[in-house]
Amino acid sequence: MAHRLLVRRIWTLPAKEIRCLPASTATISSSSFSTSLQSATTRVSFLSPSRTLPRVLPHTSRREVSFNVQDHEDFTERVIKNELPVLIDFHAQWCGPCKILGPRLEKAVAKQKGRVAMAKVDIDDHTDLAIEYGVSAVPTVIAMRGGDVVDHFVGIKDDDELDSFVSKIIGQ
Amino acid sequence: MPPVENDTGKTELKSRIQQLIDTNQVIVFSKSYCPYCVKVKDLFKELKVDCNVVELDLIEDGTNYQDMLLEMTGQKTVPNVFINKTHLGGCDKTMQAHKDGSLQQLLENEAYDYDLIVIGGGSGGLACSKEAAALGKKVMVLDYVVPTPKGTTWGLGGTCVNVGCIPKKLMHQTALLGTALQDARKFGWEIEETVKHNWETMKTAVNNYIGSLNWGYRVALKDKNVNYVNAYAEFIEPHKIKAKNKRGKETFYTAAKFILATGERPRYLGIPGDKEYCITSDDLFSLSHCPGKTLVIGASYVALECGGFLAGLGLDVTVMVRSILLRGFDQDMANRAGDHMEEHGVKFLRKYVPVKIEELEAGTPGRLKVTAKSTDTGELLEGEYNTVLIAVGRDACTDKIGLDKTGVKVNPKNGKIPVNDEEQTNVPHIYAIGDILEGKWELTPVAIQAGRLLARRLYKGATLKCDYINVPTTVFTPLEYGSCGLSEDRAIELYGQENIEVYHSLFWPLEFTVPGRDNNKCYSKLICNKLDNERVIGFHYLGPNAGEVTQGFGTAMKCGATKEQLDGTIGIHPTCAEIFTTLDVTKSSGGDVTQSGC
Repeated sequence: MAHRLLVRRIWTLPAKEIRCLPASTATISSSSFSTSLQSATTRVSFLSPSRTLPRVLPHTSRREVSFNVQDHEDFTERVIKNELPVLIDFHAQWCGPCKILGPRLEKAVAKQKGRVAMAKVDIDDHTDLAIEYGVSAVPTVIAMRGGDVVDHFVGIKDDDELDSFVSKIIGQ
Repeated sequence: MPPVENDTGKTELKSRIQQLIDTNQVIVFSKSYCPYCVKVKDLFKELKVDCNVVELDLIEDGTNYQDMLLEMTGQKTVPNVFINKTHLGGCDKTMQAHKDGSLQQLLENEAYDYDLIVIGGGSGGLACSKEAAALGKKVMVLDYVVPTPKGTTWGLGGTCVNVGCIPKKLMHQTALLGTALQDARKFGWEIEETVKHNWETMKTAVNNYIGSLNWGYRVALKDKNVNYVNAYAEFIEPHKIKAKNKRGKETFYTAAKFILATGERPRYLGIPGDKEYCITSDDLFSLSHCPGKTLVIGASYVALECGGFLAGLGLDVTVMVRSILLRGFDQDMANRAGDHMEEHGVKFLRKYVPVKIEELEAGTPGRLKVTAKSTDTGELLEGEYNTVLIAVGRDACTDKIGLDKTGVKVNPKNGKIPVNDEEQTNVPHIYAIGDILEGKWELTPVAIQAGRLLARRLYKGATLKCDYINVPTTVFTPLEYGSCGLSEDRAIELYGQENIEVYHSLFWPLEFTVPGRDNNKCYSKLICNKLDNERVIGFHYLGPNAGEVTQGFGTAMKCGATKEQLDGTIGIHPTCAEIFTTLDVTKSSGGDVTQSGC
């Protein structure tokens, strides 16, 4: 399980690098993404366990759509105070269905071209948050608008169902 | 003195009484000649509780007191008892509260943060804390996994869930599937000649399942309103602990009662290289790489189970044994289980102890050189392995939790905690359950049962105690061994050879016949007490699905099953378990028990 922790660290590293980005990450183009990498160097430097890990992982367009929640404060800043509606994907490394749902949800969010944000919360790293929002099984997706939970679902959904879930949140 | 008529006097009297109630843990308004009052006063004396008494017949304005008490409590009679500011009532109420345990609770209700703090979030601790919380108590459970020397750590749920029963049985199942694949060909399945096993796939799948269990436990605690803290607990006072989390932050909590449920961790050998290069069962189940050629040191059930499934995955496995296999278990059965392993390719190095472990090459896995010494001749032996797994026993985690601050007695030899038959330590407000108990079973279901029943006795006035007799259990060696009750050796010791009858038989499971394997290896044995109507006092089964087979017989033994009753039971055909309904050869007769044909 030490291995599991290690994997998690690698996984969350890129998110730490983009932490300085404004809340609506989905609207940031790829050029501004590289800028953000530089601006985040000082922040990365005191994450000592990460130093030995690859600094830059191959990134896909996915990262622009969603961000990993870092802590409670981060959650307040980028989720609760977000001007956009936010989908919060509570997931876990050990959860098979989460690995299928995550990319599907990102695809559905990407289609909305910045009208909705997506936050990812690893429930083992941020247990308090997950408990606070009553997550008892994963994946759980919570839709939030202006700090209020407006909808949620538990388990896996197909692309069409996700599209309609996301559309409903945006209010189309 | 005349009755108090004016309001000022009344208010003044009321506040005087209230002050008495507020400032005394126990206050009894009494009359010196009243026998019920004497009874109550004697009770508190017996409980060694400081009890303040106001004898209303001996003070000047006693009648006024009594009238005011009537106004305040609705009770005119004496004794009128208050505990920790709570009005309890008269003699009957006090005696009743003493009987059902609520008196003790009232007494302990003083300014503690919690009613109960449970130290250890394993099977026992979780069961007990959830039960106590369900009974309306304010409960905290603290759990903290100290990383192994290799840096392995895990989540909530204790040994069984993370590094014991659960991964062990899943990996045993992995090995059984390998055997099933071999058998399958004989049944007509056409499978490629080379069948490979992928360690990482198994490890990830097993650990993913464990991850979901960890989360399930976390959510269950939340649902039951148990306050969970992921921190290392240490007593600093009899009613106060210090909790240190992984960031080193210290927090302090107090409670009226405590339950120790810290469990055990694998013992190391204390020889050069053991902690540096060896692993234990704490590391094995989440090992990132296939362990390769493995030396298992020890012959505990952990050693044989791990060695067994590693061999079943196709690995080269050697088990180094100092003296006997499965100490404490029926030796006849233990040796049969060991022989089966040996016949299936596990090598046994008997009467050897390791002396030192050296690293020849780092890697995943690396190469290690093991030097061992014969316990007979002292001759040294060297061997090279990829992985060395130490499984020579486990130590109770009781030495670093500040027990010296509480006065709880610990057996200095093994760190185990002696308790009475109600799991209470020598310090009345501290209890202990699970693997750390002296002379009790180290089994998850036993800890769960003990924990639940303890909570019910503490907070529900229940009286049922945990029954540690006739506990069924199973060792998941490649050929599984299930047992309940006494070993043959122990039965002879307790009752004498002449007073017991042993019925036994070898058998060949139907499933093994077509593949043509393991004939006359499976074995069943019943030990009966001749002095008690041939009541079954020992049940032993070596064969497939031993846990499933043994469980029901455990119930039968709890019901006091006799040999005659088993003989009168109709078997289910064709099964392995049916053998116990037809055992007719006694060991003393020397009759043949080998199976030949149908």
